Amino acid sequence: MTEDQTRKPGEAFFAVLLSVGSIAAVWNAYGISGFESLSSPGAFPMAVAATMAITSIIIAVRTLQKPADRHATFWVDVLPIPAAIITVFIVLYAIALRPLGFLPTSLIFLFVTILLLSRKGIIFSASVSVISLFFIYIVFRLVFSVLMPEGVVPEREILAFFGNLFGGFTK
Amino acid sequence: MMDAFLNFIIPWTDPKLLMLVALGTFSGIYVGAIPGLSVTMAVSILISFTFSWEVYEALCLMVGIYMGGVYGGSRTAVLLNIPGAPSAIATSFDGYPLAQKGEAGEAIGLSTTMSFVGGFIGIAVLAVAAPMVSEFALRFQPRDYMLLAILGILLVGSLSGDSLVKGIFAGSLGLLIGCVGLDPLTAQERFTFGMIDLWGGISFVAAMIGMFGVAEALIQLRYVDKTAVKQKLTRIVPSLKSVRKYLPLSLQTSSIGVIIGALPGTGGDIAALMAYDHAKRVTKDPKVPFGQGAKEGLVAPETANNAAVGGAFIPMITLGIPGDAVTAIIIGALFVHGLNPGPMLMIEQPQMFWFIVGCLTLANVFMLIFGLTGVRIFTKIVEMPRTVMIPLILMLSIVGAFAVNNSITDVYWMLGFGVLGYFMKLYGYQVGPVILGVILSTLIDENWRRAIISEQESLPKLLGGILTSPLSLVLFLAVVFIFVSQTPLWARFKARRKA
Repeated sequence: MTEDQTRKPGEAFFAVLLSVGSIAAVWNAYGISGFESLSSPGAFPMAVAATMAITSIIIAVRTLQKPADRHATFWVDVLPIPAAIITVFIVLYAIALRPLGFLPTSLIFLFVTILLLSRKGIIFSASVSVISLFFIYIVFRLVFSVLMPEGVVPEREILAFFGNLFGGFTK
Repeated sequence: MMDAFLNFIIPWTDPKLLMLVALGTFSGIYVGAIPGLSVTMAVSILISFTFSWEVYEALCLMVGIYMGGVYGGSRTAVLLNIPGAPSAIATSFDGYPLAQKGEAGEAIGLSTTMSFVGGFIGIAVLAVAAPMVSEFALRFQPRDYMLLAILGILLVGSLSGDSLVKGIFAGSLGLLIGCVGLDPLTAQERFTFGMIDLWGGISFVAAMIGMFGVAEALIQLRYVDKTAVKQKLTRIVPSLKSVRKYLPLSLQTSSIGVIIGALPGTGGDIAALMAYDHAKRVTKDPKVPFGQGAKEGLVAPETANNAAVGGAFIPMITLGIPGDAVTAIIIGALFVHGLNPGPMLMIEQPQMFWFIVGCLTLANVFMLIFGLTGVRIFTKIVEMPRTVMIPLILMLSIVGAFAVNNSITDVYWMLGFGVLGYFMKLYGYQVGPVILGVILSTLIDENWRRAIISEQESLPKLLGGILTSPLSLVLFLAVVFIFVSQTPLWARFKARRKA
């Protein structure tokens, strides 16, 4: 078993955060039924939370004892800028999914992220986004009948229109 | 017997099910082959779309993806020296040197054929052993289930990561997540913070897609500039002479694969590494040294990792204990479909077992067909830039999490787990034990309570029961040994003995 001998940026903070969270979990688990009995609803959660607290404290102490990696930086080696930006985009995508609907939000998400990551221009990003979304929509919505939020697009009416056109193609 | 056969052939005779197994295997091979896209990720994302399906249809797709994914990882291990899945790590040791010598086609052909052999042996053992194991499992006491589940989490935590303490933490985190919601026995709130939304617990699908889909995709963002190096592919179908030559070794390593796969918590990656080691020991005079393109070094891990698939299904179906992360996800999916894996499944719904065996066998055949054909499409898909692939994975993750309950809350949970999983992976915590913990939490909790109630709430009595029952004692000693063998104290003891 070999572990990194140096501490990555943010690693100590993460370890301490997990310890604090685990201690809070112990407190919360104690609140379920205290030390009522070994078969009480809180007994198992308390044992699990206590294990988490003990192990997370050991990890935190070991992490703090390790020398920091002086060559590494948080925004390059731990959370590079593209990863941070994409994370923000995913959150925005999730927020907009229900009000705007699957098709427009997915198209915008794919276009922006592909444009940002590939840097191959608007035409490439737009065409790849449209083609990919088309196939995903066909496979998941039409073949697998997965329900997606409609939002602002009158999807059912459009599907019904094509359904009538091709003689009952979809549900 | 006739019933078993009739259920076995259902996926072979129903065109829709046949197509789903084919689709699953095909997708599994290609997803498994793309570095960064693991079979766990594929199963966890695609499974979410199958919850509204009939259970047979969902099983066909899942089994196909699993079988194909384990094999698919070997292709990029041979062609690019980048294992597509952890189970293909050992394949790259000799597979890539073979490709560098211009024998990539032969290496892929041999690995495909031997994966088929291994897969078939694994399934045969599953078909023979599972009914016996499940009959034996009926004698299990609640304490035995509890110990077996703890053993599984400990094994995953200790074998798959750099640090045992991080493995235990990750497993406990999963167990804690599994506790959230109303207590199944008393309906008392646990970790709900007064929120009604949390009464039903945290969706395991959200946790799984977040940890295996989003987290992995974010990690892959670090390697967007890496491009695939093309290899020239010649003859793919191996000669009969070559298959015959390596068949005895593949039979030996298949046995290793099945046994390792059947142990709770150990999967194809460990089976493959152990098989590689076995091949090194038994091959007295290899034509080419190991590590430089020895075909024995390719055959051994490939048969073992596919044999482990059948093996992993044994504890999953008979005991309800996952053999690895993928079977943990499949167990979760079976729960969603109203099935309860465990010894009673074999008694109450034996048709389901034979149907799964039929699906696995069919997937193994499709794996051979797809593995030996479609090389041109394969190279195109592997060359697909990550800059396009990653946004697509992220989109499918969000849609997948939403599709399960049509709930945006699940999407937020999934994103939360994605970010947590990202940092956990970066800082050396394994996420496999988390998912295993989530799946096993209820099993451990319920069996712990049953065990302690049956001993009148007395810990000494429970311990006495464990020490006097041979089965419980073996499981207990296994748990203790695994724990102790990972401690610095044991390392010091071993070092002193060597000195």
